[in-house]
Amino acid sequence: MNVPTRLAGLFAIALLALIASLLVGGSSVAPGDLLYALAHPHAGSDVVTILWQLRMPRVCIAAVVGAELAIAGALLQGLLRNPLVDSYLTGVSPGAAAAIALSVVAGIAAPALPAIGFVAGLGTAMLVAAFARRGAGLDAIRLILCGVSLSALFSAVVTLVLTRAGADYAAQILAWLAGSTAGRGWHDLFFTLPYAALGLAFALAAVPALNVLRLGETRATAVGVNVARTQWVILIAAALLAASAVAVSGSIGFVGLVVPHLARRVVGGDARSLLPASALLGAALCAIADAASRSIAAPAELPVGVLLAFVGVPTFLYLYLNMQKAAA
Amino acid sequence: MIALHAAEIGIDGRSLIAPATATIEAGRFVAILGANGVGKTTLLRVLAGALRPLRGEVRIAGSDPATLAPLARAHRIALVTSDDAPVDGLSARDVVAAGRYPFHRWWEWTEDRDDTGAIERALAAVGMSGFSGRRFETLSSGERQRIWIALALAQGAPVLLLDEPTSHLDVRVAHEILALLRAQAEAGRTIVCAMHDLNDAATYADALMLLGDRSMLAFDVPERVFTEPLLERAYGIPMEIVRASSGAPRAFATGNASGGYPGP
Repeated sequence: MNVPTRLAGLFAIALLALIASLLVGGSSVAPGDLLYALAHPHAGSDVVTILWQLRMPRVCIAAVVGAELAIAGALLQGLLRNPLVDSYLTGVSPGAAAAIALSVVAGIAAPALPAIGFVAGLGTAMLVAAFARRGAGLDAIRLILCGVSLSALFSAVVTLVLTRAGADYAAQILAWLAGSTAGRGWHDLFFTLPYAALGLAFALAAVPALNVLRLGETRATAVGVNVARTQWVILIAAALLAASAVAVSGSIGFVGLVVPHLARRVVGGDARSLLPASALLGAALCAIADAASRSIAAPAELPVGVLLAFVGVPTFLYLYLNMQKAAA
Repeated sequence: MIALHAAEIGIDGRSLIAPATATIEAGRFVAILGANGVGKTTLLRVLAGALRPLRGEVRIAGSDPATLAPLARAHRIALVTSDDAPVDGLSARDVVAAGRYPFHRWWEWTEDRDDTGAIERALAAVGMSGFSGRRFETLSSGERQRIWIALALAQGAPVLLLDEPTSHLDVRVAHEILALLRAQAEAGRTIVCAMHDLNDAATYADALMLLGDRSMLAFDVPERVFTEPLLERAYGIPMEIVRASSGAPRAFATGNASGGYPGP
């Protein structure tokens, strides 16, 4: 199978995952009614409300967040030539979490939290980048070390707030930390979309350079890549995408780390196909995880982030180790 | 044409090569010789524009390589480094295709007919046409070196700089690589190649640039550089020059280093 066919296959999988997760939920509705409501959004029935007001925004948010995290992870893994890197390496998630925790305790209203999380996440990424500067560009090792240490610092802030805050506050903070699309609506998505689109544009601009960087920085420089500029473009792209995801859904780990690996197995390492493949797989994975989080313990909700980790990590390890064995 | 005007070569303000003036005409094959740490790689980096000379001027076809924009530089100078960063999951052809980077703007993602032609010609020039689909990491050292050279050829730059392209290669592969560089010089490219094997250099290069004693000891045809005093001064070890059956000079180290390693 050639790469375009594989990409088309991934697109079909993502589409099926989206439809499947629309059909699943806390309230049991016949699939036929749902499909009717999908085709007639103005019919004015309960099913239409459930589908278009409750499920559709969540599924779309889950898919967008999954795609954002997966692209950000693929970008950073390519830039740093390190497979253990994910979109939160830049400190986006812990920075946002610390800001959200402090805001909750300060009594800031819930609707403002995504914006605060976005700004804090992006700010932390820029702080990490400032520490990791070397000459005009970035030092990969220093970026990883600064990201990890600032993340530890901000996680400590969250823990401190959690231990000092009252039970109500703690519950609100924990709900955010666990990563969830529960109670999120269109406005949360639309507020971050422009930034995510900007991040995506930066990512696409870096695609040819990202491909040449697979040969190492020295050789990329020799064929005319402005390595310093490329590093900044990719870092800003990844930070914008990750901050957009974090602002909407809180800390969802695992996707940014694992999805690019799976995508690489399917379409190879060429950024021209790796980025779309990562986006499609990330969207499919998060849409399915969101559906599962709504239905497994219905009417209670499991946090998507927790679910992804519980189911996804063992699956990934199993698949990956088996594929390694098959390749050897 | 490559020109050094009283150029002092060094790194971090520390001088490795005293101010030297030299001109390399287009289409010549020049080998840079000298002991380890003498500044061969640093000189190549200066010629590639990655580093500025401490003093003096360097010109490649009239312009200062250090002030050229990265893409303009890539059109004029191709560099084959000795850096052996791992390359995972790329075919030999993918690696060569990287040489086409300077021919595209950032939104041009697809290979055009010029690219395909250049990549295929480059693979053919290094004798690797049959290997284009092979994964790079499965190639032997000699095959990898050919692919790195093909990448530089696909770049289409008139100046080709190489850092020890024949180290770690067996005798036959080393000669094949040097012969293909020689052919590129005949075809009009300027080749500047840092090397360790004196006799290979004398066989294939038009001129030898001998570095040592923190200076450019000689820059001349092999016949004049291959003298015992010059080579002993450069490498700090007794040397003997003999004649091959063709009459070409050959140099051999004859014993223990007298007076020890001269230091960089």
